[in-house]
Amino acid sequence: MWVDLLITLGKIVVLLGVALGVGAYLTWFERKLAGHIQARLGPTVVGPFGLLQPLADGIKLLTKESIIPRGADVPVYYLAVVLALAPAILLFAVIPFGPGFEVFGREIKPIIADVNIGLLLIFAMGSLLVYGTIFSGWASNSKYAFIGSLRKAAVIIAYEVVLGFTVLGVVLLAGTLSTVGIVQAQIERGVWFVFYQPVAFILYLFCMLAESGRVPFDIQEAEAELVTGYHVEYGGMRFGAFPLAEWYLNVMALSAIAVVIFFGGWSGPNILGPLSPYFWFLAKMFGLVFFVLWLHWTLPRFQAKDVTEIAWKIMLPLALANLVITAVVVYLVGGE
Amino acid sequence: MPWINRATVERVKQEFKEDVSVTYGDNAVSLEVKTDRLKDLLKHLRDRERFLHFVDLTCMDFPEDPRRFQGVYILYNPDENERVIVKTWAKDGKLPTVTDLWPGAKWAEREAYDMFGVEFEGHENLRRMFMWEGYEHFPLRKDFPLEGIPEQELPSLTEVLHGRTDPPSHDYEVLHTKVPTLEDLERTEKARLKKKAQLILNWGPLHPGTHGTIWFLFDLEGEFVSQCDIILGQLHRGMEKLAENLYYFQFLPYTDRMDYISAICNELSYVTAVEKLLGVEVPEKAQYIRTMFAELQRINSHLLWLGTGALDLGALTVFLYAFREREKIMDIIEGNAGYRLTSAFLRIGGVHYDLAEGTLDVVKAFVKDFPNRLKEYHMLLTRNRIWLRRTKEVGVITREDVHAYGLSGPVARGSGVPYDIRKLEPYAAYDEVEFDVPVGEVGDVYDRYLVRMEEMWESTRIVDQCVKKIEKLPKDAPYINKDHPAVMPPKEDVFMSLEDMVQSFRIVVHGENAPPGEVYSSGENPRGELGFYIYSKGGSKPYRLRIRSGALYNLSIFPKLIEGRTIADAIALLGSLDPVVGETDR
Repeated sequence: MWVDLLITLGKIVVLLGVALGVGAYLTWFERKLAGHIQARLGPTVVGPFGLLQPLADGIKLLTKESIIPRGADVPVYYLAVVLALAPAILLFAVIPFGPGFEVFGREIKPIIADVNIGLLLIFAMGSLLVYGTIFSGWASNSKYAFIGSLRKAAVIIAYEVVLGFTVLGVVLLAGTLSTVGIVQAQIERGVWFVFYQPVAFILYLFCMLAESGRVPFDIQEAEAELVTGYHVEYGGMRFGAFPLAEWYLNVMALSAIAVVIFFGGWSGPNILGPLSPYFWFLAKMFGLVFFVLWLHWTLPRFQAKDVTEIAWKIMLPLALANLVITAVVVYLVGGE
Repeated sequence: MPWINRATVERVKQEFKEDVSVTYGDNAVSLEVKTDRLKDLLKHLRDRERFLHFVDLTCMDFPEDPRRFQGVYILYNPDENERVIVKTWAKDGKLPTVTDLWPGAKWAEREAYDMFGVEFEGHENLRRMFMWEGYEHFPLRKDFPLEGIPEQELPSLTEVLHGRTDPPSHDYEVLHTKVPTLEDLERTEKARLKKKAQLILNWGPLHPGTHGTIWFLFDLEGEFVSQCDIILGQLHRGMEKLAENLYYFQFLPYTDRMDYISAICNELSYVTAVEKLLGVEVPEKAQYIRTMFAELQRINSHLLWLGTGALDLGALTVFLYAFREREKIMDIIEGNAGYRLTSAFLRIGGVHYDLAEGTLDVVKAFVKDFPNRLKEYHMLLTRNRIWLRRTKEVGVITREDVHAYGLSGPVARGSGVPYDIRKLEPYAAYDEVEFDVPVGEVGDVYDRYLVRMEEMWESTRIVDQCVKKIEKLPKDAPYINKDHPAVMPPKEDVFMSLEDMVQSFRIVVHGENAPPGEVYSSGENPRGELGFYIYSKGGSKPYRLRIRSGALYNLSIFPKLIEGRTIADAIALLGSLDPVVGETDR
């Protein structure tokens, strides 16, 4: 009992450290990538290859003065930061990074909460993200922030629905909501679900971009129109928390989920011995992250009304059709 | 560009008899009309004689005349390619409005009211254009001193922090001209056409999307703009007032600071106007150098537009690609003029320096490389679905609106009006180089985008021809016409020969001594027609120098186009109109 609790705590500490650390270093990676896409070098000054840049940024953000706008709703203003960060981190709780292994006769699974409704939890957390946005827009007492948060809320509501329906096809195939179960179903059949559900995967990619506020769906940012949207009135690390949650943690978490449900999780040829599953998982995940960043620095952005129109008018019918067809096929062929 | 022909003048004279008198000048033909018949004459010119295109409207102040203010209207006939100036005297400081004939006159009339206090009867919303509501003076009147009217105490920072000291801690006057207070700005904001929206969004004065200090007010219904108001003047420096108090050559660097992105084009327009007034011939080499640099500057300016326009629509990478090429042009300009942005490279009668060594090689390399870079931009944007969706059918300008609002430059050409001063009234060496004028069909943001992209290509062609021509000219060909008494000789001659030193000395001290007369001359700037209307009474300073800003007129159609569209369209539209605040405010 106590040992289990300690193990879980250990897992949480490790995951939190890794997630936040990698999240911070993703800023460095993105800046380097953007630099090379844009025919420049990116950060080079702080540390070798600019590797200490995230640290410098962190120190800068932490030591900045906190300015709260006049007329702001202070408790909600702070609550928004928490509500933006917490669900993004909690998403990682149900992601299995590899198969279970035994230490001193005790089985340890590299997942914090192996619940049998893992996917449901993911959607719950994803929907909670909207509160951080709405609260920050509302509490800042600024029109730009308000418009930005409303845009983001409209996007999240639209794309959560689509996201739910795209993933349901996989759930029908796997016959379970458990993330570990989905991965194992793919390993047992020896095929990744992306081959059974290509349409769902493409829709999922779009939803991922929209949910994490990446180009071409970054209408809540739209720096040319709304300056930076809903977190424009935040300063210092409070300001830093929003992009960290939205642009990095969220992208990583959603990529990890995509790997779990479409790319067979940790499955892959054994090339590194016991570390091989983790390698494959991370490789797939960062492949997707890279794709998102690549799009971000290449494409222009949609208009606000177009973004929601695409979700409701094109993607939702597609997702529904995909679901119905999958259901019929599964019924006829048999799910197992 | 030729002026109104005699046959038309005869027809007008028959119609209006003794109410109209004509003055034929060397560089302008003006009709003077009685105030009561002004509207009739303008209507006649517009409807019967096809002077459709509204170019400019301004005022002049003659304190010694009992009627005092004279209104000046400049019109253009696109069929015959002719201009005409119409003048009339104000009656009791009032003139009839012409906004019902040309809506583009709205802002021009407001500006004239702001600067001269001339009231335009029937104007829908006559209030201050650049100054704030509640300012009592009219700066361009002749009795308004250049240094302003000191009436407000502005203590220095030390005084504020440590209390007032006696004797004062500074060596300047305590009294200053008035600056607007927050209350003044609030009053300015409230003095709007009408308010009806749920949410009023302030865009600016400092906002990344406005590319300068413009103040937009959007009345929003949800995301849709139901009404838009633009408050200008944050960058107003009173260029026209400054010009009246400077010698002609002294004003040249100020033109750099209007449209600071295309400084050499500004200089070229100004220098062309002044040379017409003074009757200065320009040597061939100088003409080609001017053309080459103006076109390089045009590419430079369009690259900035491309980068920022794409940045506004979220395409972050194009910005840096554009700046990469822009940097090369900057280097070429810096290598020759010594400055990157406000270069002051041209001189009345020529250019400041001969071409620096190796310039032509660098330019040739650039011309060779640039088409590939253009292809790169096209690949990134032109057929991108998102780009099309953001720009197609947004902000459609009709041909009628082009004439009625006095639009010019790529904005006019995007709507299919081939209004290009380089072709219609060739200046510098534009009549000797070959180039085409790209025009759009629909007149939306996408067409204006394509027109500018094509213009960059045409500019490359022109630069290429200029390089070839300059290479053929002898190396020691003159680059400035120092034989003319109003032209300052180049510095190396001033130090070496007595006559040149005397001439330089005389011009610096006494100025150019221009003949009396008037001239309206314009140049094709990257942002539209930049015109200079110079009224000279003789002497070395212009009596009135009116700057016709292309960016200002192009911006004036913005509130009409944005009605009923979203704020995301506003950013696309503003990017396609491409105003530079230095020029709109002057």
